[in-house]
Amino acid sequence: MTGGEATQIDSESVGCGRFGRDDLEMLAIAQSDPSAPVVDGIVEHLPKCPACCAVVDRIVADNAFLHELARAASRASDSRAAIARLETRREDLAASGGPISGYRLGAEIHRGAQGAVFRAEQIATRRTCAVKMLLGGRFAGDRELIRFEREVEVVARLRHPSIVTLYESGVSRDGEPWFAMELVEGERLDDFVRAHSSPPRQVAQLLRKIADGIAYAHRRGVIHRDLKPGNIVVDGEGVPRVLDFGLARLQGSDAPAEVNSATTMAGEFVGTFAYAAPEQLAGDPGAVDSRCDLYALGVVFYQCLAGRRPFEGARSIAELVAQKTGSVPTRPSALNAAIDGDLDVIALRLLAADPARRYVTADALVEDLERFLDGRPILAREDSMAYVVRKTLRRHWIASSAAAALMATILISGVALAFAYANAQRQRVRSERTLASFRDAVGSVNPEASSGSASLSVEQFLELIEANSANELSSEPAVLAGVRDTIGIVHLGFEDAPRAERALSQALDERRRLYANGECSPEEVAESLHNMGRVCILQRKLTEAEAFYREALAVRSDVFGERDPRTMLTARHLASCLRRENRLDEALALYDSLEMRALDQSGYPALELAAIRNGRAFIYQSRGDLPRALSDFEDALDAIRGHLASDDYRVGRSLFNIASTQERLSMPVESMQNATQALEILRKRKGGDAATVVDVEKLIARLRSLPSIDPSVGPN
Amino acid sequence: MDLDRTTTALLTGLFDPRNAAAWEAFDRRYRPILIGFARNCGAKDVDAAEVAQETIVRFVEEYRAGKYDRNRGRLGAWLVTIARYRLLDSRRRAGTARIERAESAMVDLDDERSLGASYEAERRQALLREALDEMRTRSRTDPKTVKAFEMLVYHGLTPQVVAEQLEMSTHDVYLAKSRVAAKLREIVLRLESEYEEAPGDWDESGPRPSDGIHS
Repeated sequence: MTGGEATQIDSESVGCGRFGRDDLEMLAIAQSDPSAPVVDGIVEHLPKCPACCAVVDRIVADNAFLHELARAASRASDSRAAIARLETRREDLAASGGPISGYRLGAEIHRGAQGAVFRAEQIATRRTCAVKMLLGGRFAGDRELIRFEREVEVVARLRHPSIVTLYESGVSRDGEPWFAMELVEGERLDDFVRAHSSPPRQVAQLLRKIADGIAYAHRRGVIHRDLKPGNIVVDGEGVPRVLDFGLARLQGSDAPAEVNSATTMAGEFVGTFAYAAPEQLAGDPGAVDSRCDLYALGVVFYQCLAGRRPFEGARSIAELVAQKTGSVPTRPSALNAAIDGDLDVIALRLLAADPARRYVTADALVEDLERFLDGRPILAREDSMAYVVRKTLRRHWIASSAAAALMATILISGVALAFAYANAQRQRVRSERTLASFRDAVGSVNPEASSGSASLSVEQFLELIEANSANELSSEPAVLAGVRDTIGIVHLGFEDAPRAERALSQALDERRRLYANGECSPEEVAESLHNMGRVCILQRKLTEAEAFYREALAVRSDVFGERDPRTMLTARHLASCLRRENRLDEALALYDSLEMRALDQSGYPALELAAIRNGRAFIYQSRGDLPRALSDFEDALDAIRGHLASDDYRVGRSLFNIASTQERLSMPVESMQNATQALEILRKRKGGDAATVVDVEKLIARLRSLPSIDPSVGPN
Repeated sequence: MDLDRTTTALLTGLFDPRNAAAWEAFDRRYRPILIGFARNCGAKDVDAAEVAQETIVRFVEEYRAGKYDRNRGRLGAWLVTIARYRLLDSRRRAGTARIERAESAMVDLDDERSLGASYEAERRQALLREALDEMRTRSRTDPKTVKAFEMLVYHGLTPQVVAEQLEMSTHDVYLAKSRVAAKLREIVLRLESEYEEAPGDWDESGPRPSDGIHS
């Protein structure tokens, strides 16, 4: 409104002058309140008088505007009250003498999820410290109070150079809990690393100190749950200090369950998204253990090394969870070439989505970091071993598929076995030696190394490993037996019976001897017995095979139970052996029993079930019941096709089984088709000289001699 | 228009950490809006004050770090985005679900348009309050006129009672109301131009702070 318009209303007479201001005001009010009294004649007058009409319109607009103002004014007092409450609190705290006896509170230095931290002076000692008070004070709910008290309890039990020290705690005059701790002055970890352009080695040194503190806390049953750069301050002497245990959880028997569940309810997320482990994001308190802290340290470590977090760009929590569980972050060294490959391995190990794939403890992380800093090989090389072996084997003449199978076997059985030993402190030396022997062997076939050769065969490669192992592990017979067992299995995979038998029987003998001295478990003996059964089958020494299988079965039944997949595997091998011995009724009964046990268990491996049916098909085949045999073989192939690569050797074997049954069922065209596919796969997987390949070639030759088959059809 | 009081001038001043006046003016202008906004979203008084405090601090940090470009989005939209995450944090901390508290009328934190409308309503109210303050403390309006206006509008007294208590005619009471309303309209118009945020263009939502998902 302009001043001119106001002047118009300011005149003694309003509108046309026939009615007074009060009358027009009442008429305006009557627009929204029909009960308001209006003078006679005004309602009829208004439509005919533009001047009065304009005045009433303006009054109506004013009233609406003023009503809005009145509402705004009443809300203002609310906001002022809210601000005043906060300010009163701060003034209270800052007041001389303050609410905490013995301390003089200074400026607020930090405000976190759980409380406000003030710089303070302990009056008696003149010591500068930090005082943390629960935010919201009297407004805080039970859970906030419990969490605050939890932090006091947790920090009080920790005394470590990398963890902030608690001095004392108490309750203020107003009944609000507080605690005093040492004042750490320095920079946030990420700011420190950025400001000092810390090289990767220095970052590793910082992480080692942090991990040492966390390992200490874990040993005392404390899980931090909110590790992030903002909660780690590097002090003036370059020592990283872990702060803010406000979200910490106690594990172990000394932590009453109801207290832990009061601080974390199911479905509630506690922590900081970017640093939270996938299982933590799921909000299941039961899934959260000390390995969450290891994951968070992984994110922190990665961020300090690479300059960015491993997973960035997520626009929602769901997207972040999907990233964390579904993808492997880029190696830090790909972002910063100065980063050593060992640090890649350590960071990625910490960031494994599956907690079981992370370091077992923070102590193990500390040890690997120390190894790295001392220039010794780290223990977490499991993943990169795969890389080295793959990289090395790809360079020489072994078909890549065979190399992959070899590598997988070595890694799954050998290195994994070696790592299994690492769980116990006593066994650590052994696993190191095992690794060293593998590494030497792998290094020796690396064409880039001076002693390497680009034309090494699988046999030579395995012999190198065996020789190295025998040398390195002479004082560790249990580990050596494990390595020999693995090597024997690889030879078996290549159907090299003599070498397989030599390695496997050495392993078995050693394990029997160790078992007698109580230095080896019955499971390991059973494993060797089972593998000896396999090598005897390959050599067609059926009686010996049966004996090995029966002994292995007895041990496995005893140790694992009848329905365990390992027990059932040995039983299936035994059934196969019985069939080869032409004891078809016994074999069939065993297969039927195995099938029932398999079908009883949900989630029984499809490949194993297929193998059971495959074995039964051979029995039908032997008995001349070819249609049932073909049906079982085809079912088996269908089952494994869903679970294996289309050129897996087991697919080749299945195709060959079908082809040979079809030959006997006088289905030469179908048989030739399947045999051709089988040959292609088996040649690729087993090499041209393998016994199975020769069998397929013979079948194809027979089919070609048939008048119904064009001899030029099929493989060469 | 007081050019020193425009939002542009405040933002320019905020770049300098030593410019306490800019900080205070910015805080005075936006804190009450954010408190009201947080309260509309279901926060209790102290929580709402916390959310406002954290939002302003975060905004200033981001602004000084060069993350906020005024050409790319409204200041209000940016503040709402920050405040929304603070509210989610606050709610998680409080552990209270909206349904449990039967606050169905509360603004939905997932609905950007209603968040924008809520902020806009608070901004308008803040502006009206600022206008009232200015009218009381700085305008040359006759104190008796202001008093009549306040009794009529704030305290809801009838014109007759106001007239009686202030010893004036009801005509003068109505006149006082009209005068003050006119004055306030002038102030509001000027303040709107200082805010430089015309209502009604909430379709263009503000950019998302880069690390908004972290607490």
